[in-house]
Formats: sequence, C-alpha cells, structure tokens
Amino acid sequence: MSKHNRQRCVVIGLDGVPFSFLNSLMANGELPNLRKIFSNGSLRQLNSVIPTVSSVAWTSFMTGKNPGKHGIYGFVDRELNTYNTFIPTTRNIRGETLWEVLSRHGKRVVVMNVPISYPPRPVNGILVGCFLTPTLEKGVYPPSIVPTLQRLGYRIDVDAWIARKSLDEFLKELKTVLERRAEVTLHFLRNGDWDFLMMHFMETDRLHHFLWEQMQAADERYQSRCLDIYRFIDGVIGDLWAELDGDTSLVMLSDHGFCTIRQEINLNAWLRQNGWLKFRNDPPASLEEIHPDSVAYSVIPGKIYLNLEGREPQGSVRPAEYERLRDQLARQIAGLRDSESGEFAVDRVLTREEAYCGPAFAQAPDLIVLPRDGYDLKADLKKERLFERGIFTGMHTFSDAFLFFSSRTLPDRTIEMVEVMPTILQEMGIPAPDDLDAAPLAV
Amino acid sequence: MERGATLWFTGLPCSGKTTLAHLVEAALRQRGRKVEILDGDVVRTHLSKGLGFSREDRETNLRRIGFVAKLLTRNGVIAIVAAVSPYRDVRDAVRADITDFVEVYVKCSVDVCMTRDVKGMYKLALEGKIKEFTGVSDPYEEPLTPEIVAETHREAPEASATRIIRRLEALDLIQPVSSSGYSLEEEAEVTRRLEALGYLS
Repeated sequence: MSKHNRQRCVVIGLDGVPFSFLNSLMANGELPNLRKIFSNGSLRQLNSVIPTVSSVAWTSFMTGKNPGKHGIYGFVDRELNTYNTFIPTTRNIRGETLWEVLSRHGKRVVVMNVPISYPPRPVNGILVGCFLTPTLEKGVYPPSIVPTLQRLGYRIDVDAWIARKSLDEFLKELKTVLERRAEVTLHFLRNGDWDFLMMHFMETDRLHHFLWEQMQAADERYQSRCLDIYRFIDGVIGDLWAELDGDTSLVMLSDHGFCTIRQEINLNAWLRQNGWLKFRNDPPASLEEIHPDSVAYSVIPGKIYLNLEGREPQGSVRPAEYERLRDQLARQIAGLRDSESGEFAVDRVLTREEAYCGPAFAQAPDLIVLPRDGYDLKADLKKERLFERGIFTGMHTFSDAFLFFSSRTLPDRTIEMVEVMPTILQEMGIPAPDDLDAAPLAV
Repeated sequence: MERGATLWFTGLPCSGKTTLAHLVEAALRQRGRKVEILDGDVVRTHLSKGLGFSREDRETNLRRIGFVAKLLTRNGVIAIVAAVSPYRDVRDAVRADITDFVEVYVKCSVDVCMTRDVKGMYKLALEGKIKEFTGVSDPYEEPLTPEIVAETHREAPEASATRIIRRLEALDLIQPVSSSGYSLEEEAEVTRRLEALGYLS
C-alpha cells in the first residue's frame, strides 16, 4: 500500500530540451538516471505550438487549448485596436489552468516556475510565479511561502545579460540558479502535502540560446560545463524518482526543440523594403508612428497584422481588400530567401483561421510566419538590416520537443501539446473541462 | 481611497452610449476599480419612475442622476452615466457640481442612429407615435468642450473604449498600467529580462 493512498502526479518541465538531443546524449552514455526512468515508461516526440515560444507553449500545456482559446500569442503581444504592445501575464489567460482545475476538485498542488504564472492565481496549495515575476514577494501564492523560498536561496531566473559579458560567468550563474531551483523542488517534494507537483526548469533554454552551437560543435571551452548542466539535472531527477511511490506518475516534457541559428531575419525590415510598411518618422520610436498608408506590420516572432481600417487606429486596408492583400503578402513572404545561401527561409505562412480558433481569436495575428530551422524571426523597428547574426547561437524549433509518462503507454506517434493536460487529468481521476482542444491520450 | 470620477456619456439615442459604457466598465473593473453604471433607461424605471420627457422632467431626471453620480464619485467609485442628456445647460450644471467630471460625447449622425434603432423607437417617433423624441422631434445640443469624443460610426467600440481609458489615465483619474497589469517600473524590469533573451526586439 502506498504511503499516501492517493493518485499523485509529478511533472518536470525541461524548457527547450530537444527529443533528438536527449536521445543522442543517452546514446553516448550520458544521463543514466533519465535513461533508466525512460525505460520504465513511454517517451515520445512532442510538437510545440505556434508561435514557438515558451509563454505560448506552456500556456497551451496548462490549459489544454490553442492560443485562440487561451489568449496568449507570445511574450509580447499587440493590444487590440491599438499599436501598443504589452507583455501578457496570467491576467490575459482565458479559462482555467490545470492546477486551478485540480484545486477546484480538492487536489492539493505545488506549482513552480511555469510560464506564464505571474501574477499567481490562487490555488489549493502553493504557486511560485515564473521568470516574468518582477519580485519574489509579488510572485508567490500564498505569500507566507516567500520566507521559505528566500531561506533556500531561490532565484527567479538567471540574469541573461551576463552572457553578453562572459559566457564563463553566465555558466557559473546558470548552475547556481539551477542548484537552488533543484533544492526547492526536492524540499517541497519531501516536505509538502501535495497531490500534484510541478517544477519547471528554465535553465536548459537559457543554456541553449547562448551555447547551442558550441554544444553541437563540442567546443572544448564550454562543452564540459554545458554537459554538467544536463548531468546535474539527471542527478536531480534521479533523486526525485527515488522518492516517488507506486501511486505517483512522473511526467516530463519540454516545450520546443532547439537548432543552430543561421540568420536572424527582421520581418519589419522586410516589410519596409518591400513596400508594405512605412513610418512617419525615421527611425520610428514605436509602432504608433506607423504611416496610415502601411498595409502590414510585424510583432515578434513571425506575427503579421494587416493595418486594417476599423481595427487599427490608422488602419487603411479596407475590409473588402483584406483577403486579397493578405494572400498576396503571404505568398511574397513565403519566397523570402537567405541572402547568403539562397535557400528559402520560410517553411510556411499560416492565416489566423488556419492556426487558431476560439474566443480569443480576435487577438490573433492575421498571418503567422513559420521559419525553416535556422532562421529566427525578429521584428525590430529601428534596424534596417534584413539579415543579421547576433549573440544567440540557438533558436526554438517546433517539432522536436519530448514527452514522457511513467504510468501509461503513449500512442506511437508525435504528440500534440494540447493532449497533455487532459491526459494528466485522467491520470488523476479528474474530469476534464468540456472546452479543451483534445481528448486524453489513449492508454 | 482611490479617486472617484463621473464619466458622463451623452449622445443621441442609439449612438452607442450603453455599449461603450459597458466596455469601459469592464476595463475599469479589470483594473480593480469600483464602478457603477447609471443607465438612463434603467434609472427611469426606478429613481425617476413617473417622469416623462418634457424639458422639465428631463432636467429633473438628469439632476437626480447627477446627484447619485456625485455621491458615488466622492466615495471613490467611478460612476458611468449613459443617458441622452440633450440639454447643454443641464449637463454643465451637473459638471459644476462634481469635481472629477468627464464628458464623453458619443457622436453619431442621426441617420446612422436610425439605422441601428435598437428598440424601434426612431420608427415610432418618425410615425408620430412618440412625441418629444431626441433627434426627431426634440433637439440634441452637442457638447462644446467634451473631454472625449467617440465617433461611433467611424471607430469600433473597443477602439473608442481604449481611447477613453487612455484619456482617463492622462487626466490622472486612473493609474496607467500595461495591458498585463504591470506597473511601468515592473514592466521595465521584465522587458529587460525578455530583451536579454532576444524575445523582444
């Protein structure tokens, strides 16, 4: 008989860890704990979401819905009927999260660091906000937990600006933040009263943004310390696994994969160069300086909005012209080529109707540009260069995330992000809300 | 206690006052503000039951609404009044009595209002079955210096509501926040983090 006599679930999020990379590390003899754990369950490839950024992906994970329903379309979004951009928070998430559903059914939850979780919505248990939390004091529910986190030295996130000064210092800082996060995870695992516990490790994503290319090239300056990050995580998960009883499911997943950046592409520069976008001032201070003759503008990553009359304040695209211009723009963007290699840089351009559906549809971009691997889409207003290489060496990919369930055999196919929440609810014997995008994965 | 205000939406019947009032109410509630809508039609069934549409009765109705709005305003509530309120001198008298008074002229041509005719009142007025109907048989006196003009035949209601909110921020009647609810200082810190990761241009 289990210690707790109840069905429990632990979820570990490993941000930006590719399915392919995990497999190659294990094939090379690394990650012995994960190798052993994976052999006791079901590991599959997982698709991310569109656009492929963590705020959107994890919100789809925690709601079981596409952005057309949950309302989060990126780390930055455009405020409807304005040219203002804003950073979405939980105030902008429509509907219940997984932990709110569990709480409503009397389950006790401990949830830490999952984007987007600031400001923390009340739960039956503990919620520690993600890296979009301005200060720890404002980002924890209930606030009485803050002293415990402070005592354990918990850090919201690594300061990524350090990477611009020194990758060595960055790696050192990253390891410190990771260690503290791991300590907090094990603390609540061992000492908390919970039915559902989730910790999200962001450190892998941070590592990959700055050091992915170096890792792939086994750059001897950094390789050992980069692998140390993975070895440490492997050790923590091994410790965690040892604590779990037979009635506790372990789920692990990432939200997207990673690949080496070939070029950063500035879509607003492309729009300007091709006559779709003009500004009243040069350089423009913000999107609000858009010229009324503009047809379209972009918000990172890959989101294109038509300057629509009646919707945008200076909108000039007449509704009768919307579809024609949108189609024309989509075809032209699809032909965008890498200036060095001549290769196509765009995989697909989707319309909002193809990508999204739901009550938050009005917020959706008119077009969504999906780049080919290696082409990272930006939307700088001031820069005129179309192609650039910056400090980042890794970018997100759509199709190479991973999902693991210890307690059920997953279908032999790539899984979709929206399928995970209903499956976890089923594991815990909780009925799913009736507005989710998918059914539980068949056992 | 937060600073209250009276937002007085005036305009022809079917110009969009009630629609805008509810959108602004929702936006203010999301910011944690206490809000109360005093809709002209609703008030007439309770506070001003028995009053007609003569000049004298309209004036009495509006002064009563103004009185309630004043009480709410001085207790930190944002009172949103949505009433035709066709007479300039009455509106100005209410304004003089309330410190934080914001006049929102919900401007729309009578022709467009007639095409909307939500309750069929314009039709009845044009047929002579309703007397003293503003826009048909009774005058509407446009505001001369409203704080905000919302031209509802040119602009989507959501866009108008957003402008109204921004104007309230500019008048220091509500605190500016980003759509996500960060203070400006908090948003700057979080922006810094996102820029460091290349998630913002």
